[in-house]
Amino acid sequence: MTYDALRRSSGVVSGESDLWCTYAAVRTLRWLDRVGDLPSPESVAGFLASRQNSDGGFAWSAGMSSDAWATYYCTQALADLPDGSRGTVRGSSSAWVWSTEHADGGFAMTPSQASDVWATYYAVRTLVEIYGERPPETLFDWLAALQSEDGGLAWSPAHAKDGASDVRACYYAVTAWHTATGGQGPLPWDRERLTDWLRGRQSAAGGFTFRAGDETDCLWATFRATGALSRLGEAPRDPGGCVAWIMSRLRPGESFTRWPGYPVQDVWAAFCAVGALRELGARLDGIADGVVARVLSFRTGQGGFTYRTPELASDVLTTSAHLMARTFPADGEREAVRWTESCMLPNENGIMYMPGRGSEVRCTLWALSAGAFEDDAPARARIAQWLAGSIQNPDGGFGYWEGRASDMVSTSSAAEILHRTGGDSAAGFLRDIADYVAACETTPGRYANVPGGPATLRSTLQALRALHRAVGADDTHVTEALTRHRVPGGGFANEGRRVPDLLSTYEAVLAADVFGLDWDAAHLTKFLDSVRTADGGFAWTPLMAMSGGPLADCLGRRLELRLSPEGIALPPLALS
Amino acid sequence: MQTLDHTEINNRIQAVLEKRFGDAARTLSGDADLTDALPGFDSLAALEYVTAVEGEFGIEVDFVGDDVRYWFSTLGRTTEYVRERVEDLAA
Repeated sequence: MTYDALRRSSGVVSGESDLWCTYAAVRTLRWLDRVGDLPSPESVAGFLASRQNSDGGFAWSAGMSSDAWATYYCTQALADLPDGSRGTVRGSSSAWVWSTEHADGGFAMTPSQASDVWATYYAVRTLVEIYGERPPETLFDWLAALQSEDGGLAWSPAHAKDGASDVRACYYAVTAWHTATGGQGPLPWDRERLTDWLRGRQSAAGGFTFRAGDETDCLWATFRATGALSRLGEAPRDPGGCVAWIMSRLRPGESFTRWPGYPVQDVWAAFCAVGALRELGARLDGIADGVVARVLSFRTGQGGFTYRTPELASDVLTTSAHLMARTFPADGEREAVRWTESCMLPNENGIMYMPGRGSEVRCTLWALSAGAFEDDAPARARIAQWLAGSIQNPDGGFGYWEGRASDMVSTSSAAEILHRTGGDSAAGFLRDIADYVAACETTPGRYANVPGGPATLRSTLQALRALHRAVGADDTHVTEALTRHRVPGGGFANEGRRVPDLLSTYEAVLAADVFGLDWDAAHLTKFLDSVRTADGGFAWTPLMAMSGGPLADCLGRRLELRLSPEGIALPPLALS
Repeated sequence: MQTLDHTEINNRIQAVLEKRFGDAARTLSGDADLTDALPGFDSLAALEYVTAVEGEFGIEVDFVGDDVRYWFSTLGRTTEYVRERVEDLAA
């Protein structure tokens, strides 16, 4: 695969700071002892603090629910900023982190969701390193159950039974244990088999992959593998070869790229390379100036960072949204689709939010709906194989990306993708999806985003659409849900029937169409009039006068097209 | 229902905002756009604001029919909206 489309940007740039990029940038500067080079640390603190919700946790973007991922990144990055520049964060997040604890000893990404090792790692680091608290003793039993038959560690005890070891899972588990014990407690795994499995992921070239069978070494896997080995008091099979492989990713006098042939120096490459070199005990002073200069060039006007030079930092959701809203000039459309297709990178056959990041289910659905791989059957087959063969969880559902516990947004998105790409071979995987959906049923016909969570309109409609794709479903429960959440003045509400919002209204019309139900055009028109903004965009709710950004504009525009005389069908999108 | 004067309504709404936004709300002028003037005044905060005002004055807002994005965009407009609603209820 070549990555020429990534050298420039024919996608669309949101211009917004990204939480993960901001964390990675600050951490890299801290590791290089150069956080003092940040020109305006207060603006970084302001961006991070803006992610805090009233429940005390942090969200990966404003308006979303708190999760363990965002809470760790925000609290850690704030702690890394220079003294006196951190601003005021509204109270501790410790109580919120404890709300994600499970009786099984692990932690979930959000309350009620199943435990996974990503969330457990974030929760343990936040509790111990930020708040000085102790995780529960049951943690160690949960961690012990992660060891698979092959010696490596998996995303959850259920994944371990299926033998799905991954370098990232090893790093998160080993680091959670190390953080909780200071590296002094009894190791909950067979050390020799774990070390052998990790060392076995190093290629002859010196870099690492995530799993057995992966073809391309990458800095992400190399950083996580060296980190896990280091916490075990071990080293790679060939430490010198590993350092040489990392250094061969360095553009002289500048920063790093993520794997051979990948053309872009980005924040993740800098973070992973500097992190891995530290773990390997290599000297960093010779590379610091170039890396710091490059990382600082990734700052955005919002105060945080994006993944590369901001004017070239396109992302898949924004680009797909513009494509579906039909805002591209005709000659730019094909280039933009081609750009989203280039975000399918080695070892993971889904599409990423930003190139070089892990593949994500929702982003894959948005890109496919925007036209990606429309005429490329082999690529669509690879996506179906990635979903069914790599990232479907043992409970039958899907999480945002590999190893994350299941949720209805991702599961519904996966059902739609498998329906479009999987052909007859997807039938069994779709039936497994029905098992997860059943676990989220709260009362007959009402569904939550995760088992044990509250039922809402969107999670109910997503569940019913997934069931429709998986095993078939009649329209009775859809009709009931739409009646229950229909706002008399116009639109549909996610909870109750008072406050309508654009996303719920979009999903309501989409579900009605999927199930062949009639809906009231005048009712939809009234709602759209209440969220249309002066600049021709759309707000998420009638409360806001400003456009909610390209994703909101896309949903509003598609609803307008659905109302047009042509009655153009809505793409089957889910967002939250 | 007891009729409330403009100043009292204004002060009680400002107290609602202060509870959520602290000092930034204390110095708020009546015509300042809340989205610009209050850091973090996003759609979620706006919803919390409307709900808190409803609770404070015992009124109910129609989120589509009442043009909430106009009436709840500044302290002054919210005060006017509440005054009219309270008067309607008292009539």
